[in-house]
Amino acid sequence: MKITIVDYGMGNIYSLQSALKFLGFDSICSNKSEDIINADKVILPGVGSFKIAMDNIIKLKIDKSIKIAVKEHNIPILGICLGMQLLGVSSTEDGFSNGLNLFEGEVTKFIDQSVKIPHVGFNNVNHPVNSTLFKGIKMNSDFYFVHSYKMTTNKTNGIGLTSNGENFVASFEQGNIFGTQFHPEKSQTNGLLLIKNFITF
Amino acid sequence: MRKKRLIYTLLYNKGHFMLSRNFRLQKVGDFKWLKKHYNFEKIAFSIDELIILDVTREGRDIDEFSSVVKEVVKNVFIPVACGGGIRSLNDAKLLLNSGADKIVVNTTLHSNKELINSLVKNYGSQFVVGSVDFQIENDVKKVYIENGELKIDENLEDFLDEVEKLSIGEIYLNSIQKDGTGQGYDIKHLANTFGKLTIPIILAGGAGNHLHLIEGLKINSVDAVATANLFNFLGDALPKARMEILKKELPLANFESISDVFK
Amino acid sequence: MSKKKIFWCKTCLNMSTRPRIEFNSKGSCNACLRTEEKKTIDWNKRNDELKLLLDKYRSKDGGFDCVVPCSGGKDGSHVAYNLKHKYGMNPLAVTIRPALSMELGDKNLYNFIHSGFNHIHVTPNPKVMQVLNKYGFIEKGFPYYGWLIAIHTAVIRTAYNFNVPLIFYGEDGEVEYGGSVENKDRAMYGIDYMKRVYLEGGYEKVLKKAVDDGILESSDLYFFNFPNDNEIKKKDLSFTHWSYFENWDPYTNYLTAKNNCGLQEKDDANSGTFTNFAQNDQALYSLHAYLMYLKFGFGRATQDAGIEIRREAMTRDQALNLVKIYDNMYPSEHIDDYLEYYQMSKEEFDVVIDKWVNKDLFVKEDGIWNPKFEVGQDFEI
Repeated sequence: MKITIVDYGMGNIYSLQSALKFLGFDSICSNKSEDIINADKVILPGVGSFKIAMDNIIKLKIDKSIKIAVKEHNIPILGICLGMQLLGVSSTEDGFSNGLNLFEGEVTKFIDQSVKIPHVGFNNVNHPVNSTLFKGIKMNSDFYFVHSYKMTTNKTNGIGLTSNGENFVASFEQGNIFGTQFHPEKSQTNGLLLIKNFITF
Repeated sequence: MRKKRLIYTLLYNKGHFMLSRNFRLQKVGDFKWLKKHYNFEKIAFSIDELIILDVTREGRDIDEFSSVVKEVVKNVFIPVACGGGIRSLNDAKLLLNSGADKIVVNTTLHSNKELINSLVKNYGSQFVVGSVDFQIENDVKKVYIENGELKIDENLEDFLDEVEKLSIGEIYLNSIQKDGTGQGYDIKHLANTFGKLTIPIILAGGAGNHLHLIEGLKINSVDAVATANLFNFLGDALPKARMEILKKELPLANFESISDVFK
Repeated sequence: MSKKKIFWCKTCLNMSTRPRIEFNSKGSCNACLRTEEKKTIDWNKRNDELKLLLDKYRSKDGGFDCVVPCSGGKDGSHVAYNLKHKYGMNPLAVTIRPALSMELGDKNLYNFIHSGFNHIHVTPNPKVMQVLNKYGFIEKGFPYYGWLIAIHTAVIRTAYNFNVPLIFYGEDGEVEYGGSVENKDRAMYGIDYMKRVYLEGGYEKVLKKAVDDGILESSDLYFFNFPNDNEIKKKDLSFTHWSYFENWDPYTNYLTAKNNCGLQEKDDANSGTFTNFAQNDQALYSLHAYLMYLKFGFGRATQDAGIEIRREAMTRDQALNLVKIYDNMYPSEHIDDYLEYYQMSKEEFDVVIDKWVNKDLFVKEDGIWNPKFEVGQDFEI
């Protein structure tokens, strides 16, 4: 199985590769078009600023590769944390930026002043029934979140929700497009199960 | 609902892991010792996060430190924050690529605010944990930097105000007086400080047993408790401590042991 | 043959093998009971008693008014510091030089003195001390028996000669750590207690034997003899423990010494334990601790763990983990020093060690004595 982790200069790839290795899967780190459009699975990691990330992605022409891989070759893609947000329509972090527009969700800042921002720590995810990602995982299990901006969506199918003063997208699954706001590679056993579920999808 | 966290802190110094008592270091064991007495692969389910700090007093080598980090977090799939002598964006990147998802900065909060701004801009607020060490002198909480050796001319509350303006993600609040004493956190002196912060607070300095951890977690505005007590929590002590905390119905995440699921 | 039960205290990890230890019906030892009791003692009242005692002896002419035996370590420093700065006394600190003193210990003593104390450094003839230490090692399993005698006798001699009758020892180790509690409600105690309990009886026999065997002369033993009863009465020599007047906590003493008297710690743990801030003055202490371990089944880690448990820094479960790792530690760091000091070969040395091992508790495997028991699991012998 060819698993490609997209390397656009931002993301804790080491932990992701370690998790995959633990589960028995090799992976490569690449931004080359052929590695993305010919992969069996694509993972889009992300730590940092949406704006800088999109700038890098566009500069490296990764946006084109990802769209071909996902829309034309139907390759399953998992966006993690910022990676999930990048799959969305837009974000207001550092001004306004467009995302990859592969999922109908918008990213905005947390506004509820009565809770602590950033949202850091384990939080329970109310995941959809018949979920691919959460197969074999108990409802409302805890996953690790660490972010200041959140995604919201009008979609109702395949959405996992969590709450920090307000409800927002913890995960989504739409056909071959998957996203988790939380870091499964940092979410202990449940996180590993989720990654395994994605890889074996 | 977001859960609170039980954090374990490792203090690293040139090949050894250390016990700190009022910031005086005692060499305890090397990586082999750590693997034997803190097998994180097996006991990861008992903590919510690992913080690894390079407290080397002389001759820090961040390359060496980052390779130690890689070893420690091997097959340990939990949040990891690393710090100690981060002086450039490259240092942060190196740690990020060694398994950290957050960095910890201390002296830099005071002496290089530009770097902090740069780190926040490039990696996001949530990437930066600000570690603040304080000591009570004549009833005033004074802030120290550089491994607790240099007093700066600010008291704790004023310094925290400034630090929050830098838009970092969390505060790791550490009492020098209580550090390593096993007498519990300095809750008495921090009672008024907690409510003033809008970002998550990690309470540190003084925990010796689960009762201290529970005491810290009970405080509303405390989001996490940390202990670096290398002796008190070895063996099965962390899992046992977590069990006691859960018995008190404090909001910690529920984890299954990896060996129970992935045999 | 009737079997004997060996068991551990239910609240700390003191063992039933400890001399003079007692347990209540719930299985808690007298050290733990003492800790509970100390919570109910009226320490203000004890403090008043202390002030009365000090007022009685406080110098009116600038002379010394109390003697504090010390080594430069945390306990003596804590006592001396408080007597001087909190209670306005004029203490004379007295150190009896041990054999095989260590660099860190010397440094700590230097720092203590230089933090501002009048100090006498007494050196009983090292050759005489060596004879008594060696005798103690072989005949009693007490590797520094000579020094143990001298910290009583030589201190008292010094106090006598300087006309300072009040002597403040640190803690009554019997009362605090699980031995005899006969003195727990008494401020003052006597030489009889020192001879009978601290020196485990027979100290006069040791001195007599050395003289009878022609190894020492009576003129060698000035610093190893107590003054006689008449001399004691004449100068009204009075002995007391600081631990009677204050809620004794070794960790608090460590903080006092560290913050005020320049106490430094070792870089890593001491042999046989997990602490690094106590007993750093002499190399023979590790051997003493190791012999204690082999005789009774518990070592320095058990003792330190007990202190940690009783000051509520850790639970018994946490302590158990530490004792299992650190108690059994052969004092390899100084073995060459011991051999040279005692003028013994390794074989002769091992013969003495083997003599003192409690064979019901330990078995020799590959030249190392290993416990037959699991720490914390009661068993029968």
